[in-house]
Amino acid sequence: MSSYENMEGHYMSELQEADKMETVTKSPIKHSSTEDVKYKLIAENIVASYDGVVAVKNVNMKFRDKAVTALIGPSGCGKTTFLRCLNRMHELTKNAKLTGRVLLDGEDLYSNEQDPIINRRKIGMVFQKPNPFPTMSIYDNVAAGLKLNGLRDKSIIEQIVKGCLEMVYLWDEVKDDLKKPGMSLSGGQQQRLCIARALAIQPEVLLMDEPASALDPIATQKIEEMITELKKEYTIIIVTHNMQQAVRVSDYTGFMYLGDLIEFGETKQIFENPRNEITAKYVQGQFG
Amino acid sequence: MTRLIDPHLSKLSFLMEKIGNLAVQSINLAIDSYLEGKNVRNESHKLSQEIMALYDEIGNLTFDMILKYQPVASDFRLIRSSIEVSYGFTRFGRYAYDITVVRDMFGDLSECKNEVIYTLTGEIKHMIHLAVQCFATLDLDKAKQLKTDEYLVDKYYNKHLPMLINSKNVKCALADALVLRYLERIADHAAFMGESVNYIVTGNRRS
Amino acid sequence: MITVEQRAEFRKHFRYNVSRRLVTDKIIKGVVFGCVVITIIPLGSILLEVFRNGASALSIEFLTQVPGAVGEAGGGIGPAIQGTLLLVGMSSLIGVPIGVLGGIFLSEFGNNRLGKTIRFFNDVLAEFPTIVIGLFAFIMIVLVFGTFSILAGMFALSIIMLPIITRTTEEALKLVPISYREAGYALGIKRWTIIMRIILSSAKSGLVTGIMLSVARIGGETAPLIFTILGSSQFFSGFDQPMDALPLRIWRLSLLPYDTAAAQGWGAALVLILIVLALNIGVRYVFLRKHGRSLHVRITGGG
Repeated sequence: MSSYENMEGHYMSELQEADKMETVTKSPIKHSSTEDVKYKLIAENIVASYDGVVAVKNVNMKFRDKAVTALIGPSGCGKTTFLRCLNRMHELTKNAKLTGRVLLDGEDLYSNEQDPIINRRKIGMVFQKPNPFPTMSIYDNVAAGLKLNGLRDKSIIEQIVKGCLEMVYLWDEVKDDLKKPGMSLSGGQQQRLCIARALAIQPEVLLMDEPASALDPIATQKIEEMITELKKEYTIIIVTHNMQQAVRVSDYTGFMYLGDLIEFGETKQIFENPRNEITAKYVQGQFG
Repeated sequence: MTRLIDPHLSKLSFLMEKIGNLAVQSINLAIDSYLEGKNVRNESHKLSQEIMALYDEIGNLTFDMILKYQPVASDFRLIRSSIEVSYGFTRFGRYAYDITVVRDMFGDLSECKNEVIYTLTGEIKHMIHLAVQCFATLDLDKAKQLKTDEYLVDKYYNKHLPMLINSKNVKCALADALVLRYLERIADHAAFMGESVNYIVTGNRRS
Repeated sequence: MITVEQRAEFRKHFRYNVSRRLVTDKIIKGVVFGCVVITIIPLGSILLEVFRNGASALSIEFLTQVPGAVGEAGGGIGPAIQGTLLLVGMSSLIGVPIGVLGGIFLSEFGNNRLGKTIRFFNDVLAEFPTIVIGLFAFIMIVLVFGTFSILAGMFALSIIMLPIITRTTEEALKLVPISYREAGYALGIKRWTIIMRIILSSAKSGLVTGIMLSVARIGGETAPLIFTILGSSQFFSGFDQPMDALPLRIWRLSLLPYDTAAAQGWGAALVLILIVLALNIGVRYVFLRKHGRSLHVRITGGG
């Protein structure tokens, strides 16, 4: 209400002054031209299908570095399939077909010279249901990506394991007994363990497929806090069906529907003033 | 498809209509009585209280909706604007009351020439009616009109207020100054309502 | 909308059915329990008979000595025990790796026509009459090399155990949820590493069960041994020499008309059962001890 009091001058110039103040405080992301902005990951003309069904119909998206981008949309809209295209997991699905390019720091991940294994190490993935390896301890779970990929130096592994467990706020909870089985942790802790495991292979980008949907509210909160911290150093792309989570956690949001990208923009804009009618209907709960 | 929030949105629009009509009623009462020389301070006070009670009710309803349904997009803009506009209506009630207080405090003002006030009140009455309509129908044209109307009121106010310095009758000049001020503030708030409607429809604040 | 009164009204009809259901429940429980008892009876009575008749024949001499003269008391089944242990061990050495790899192939790479075909032939082989397999080993090994030998026995027994292990391995691996494989891929781990280091160890208990099943099976097979190891009264003398084994000895002893032979036969049967039992318990103890802690899975809601 104080802005009304500010307007007491009634002179057009004062109105203009007030307008200027508004623009400066409008958004935390500086508006530079698109050429300057650093896009960590760019998906170009992605068309993906499996078993003959086209799940993703020509989607283009650019993901900014050190930011969180959320993908929302109703079930079956293709957002999970699209996510799996980004780290070449889609080709593991039965009868999967894919065209398009995915550029990480300018390099096409799908070009013939690139080994998919190498690319999967640059882009980490976390799944909906926590899935720590059942026969391994907490320590071994986090180190799995390292040890099973040939890293032998114990001291480096220890450093990485500690660093990753600290990043997911799990270190203090488990540091006394790292040899405990991974499955003995609670659901929320298991999911954070899986995130630590994904971070251990030193990816640049972290893909998260509904990471908190199987967790209770407190565990969800911890995951969201963690994401807000992680985005300072990583590029994070999160698929979620919880719109409030997208609002809380992401800087940019893309809305997908029936395989198309309907709208993409700053999260605040998508949820306060969506430009597309379908987007407006979806975010307001007018269809599931 | 009816959502859980929809019945609450209907209730909100019902309450907004009610408070809007009360506000208009209270201003019309205040202005007419002032021009006729009647003292309606108590009546105006009662109306102002009623408006405040509705404002509280609207406040509870909107916060309840925000808490339960976490609305986004146009729902959210509507709810946010309803809070702002209902506040504006309480201001209408307040300023209407203030105008009646002038008459009560200053006593008989029949010797004052009310021309200046008289001209302005026509415009103000038109504006407040327009504001309520604008919010009820979410009509952007009406919002634009409110903006130009407010600009005109401003010009009129800035022209005539300094002229009161040269007035011979102190009592009349003071009364005129106060009432002019209140009328100008009412116009301001009516214009803010137009801006809120613009926000609901386009999503832009202060176009 | 069904009101409180309507619910009470409807519920009046339920009570009659409920009491009848309880009685039916009890009857069926009794019948099922009876069937279990009937199933246990033969097993129990066999064990009892074997123990009763064979316990008296057990002694250190019995377990370690070569057989004495036919029809006389004294002597033992030492070579037979050695033979069974050797045969089972050596056949497993061949059969287990091949079977497990076959199971891995079918489970991880076998969702196509080739896989279906292999699975079909595998199942056919599992149902094969073992005496025919024994004859096959006779032709392939005994006739070619010119002697009855342990080699032929190993050959036959590993063929018998192969399809069982393949099938059970495949089933055990299929039980491991896909999410672990996906997690492995997402970490950029190579496919074979995922299978060997993650999936296989998750399926350990199923694998061991399958292996123990086949070990018990071949431990008791008699028919194929007739044409391959022939039997002997001496301890192990070379892979290309005939050898004795418990099922074979039991059979031979049972054909003799002497009482002492019959007693020794029961004793051998008891020893065979005890060996299979010991193997089972031993392997499970070793396995469960190592794996015990990881079986603790906390079931909570999150946090």
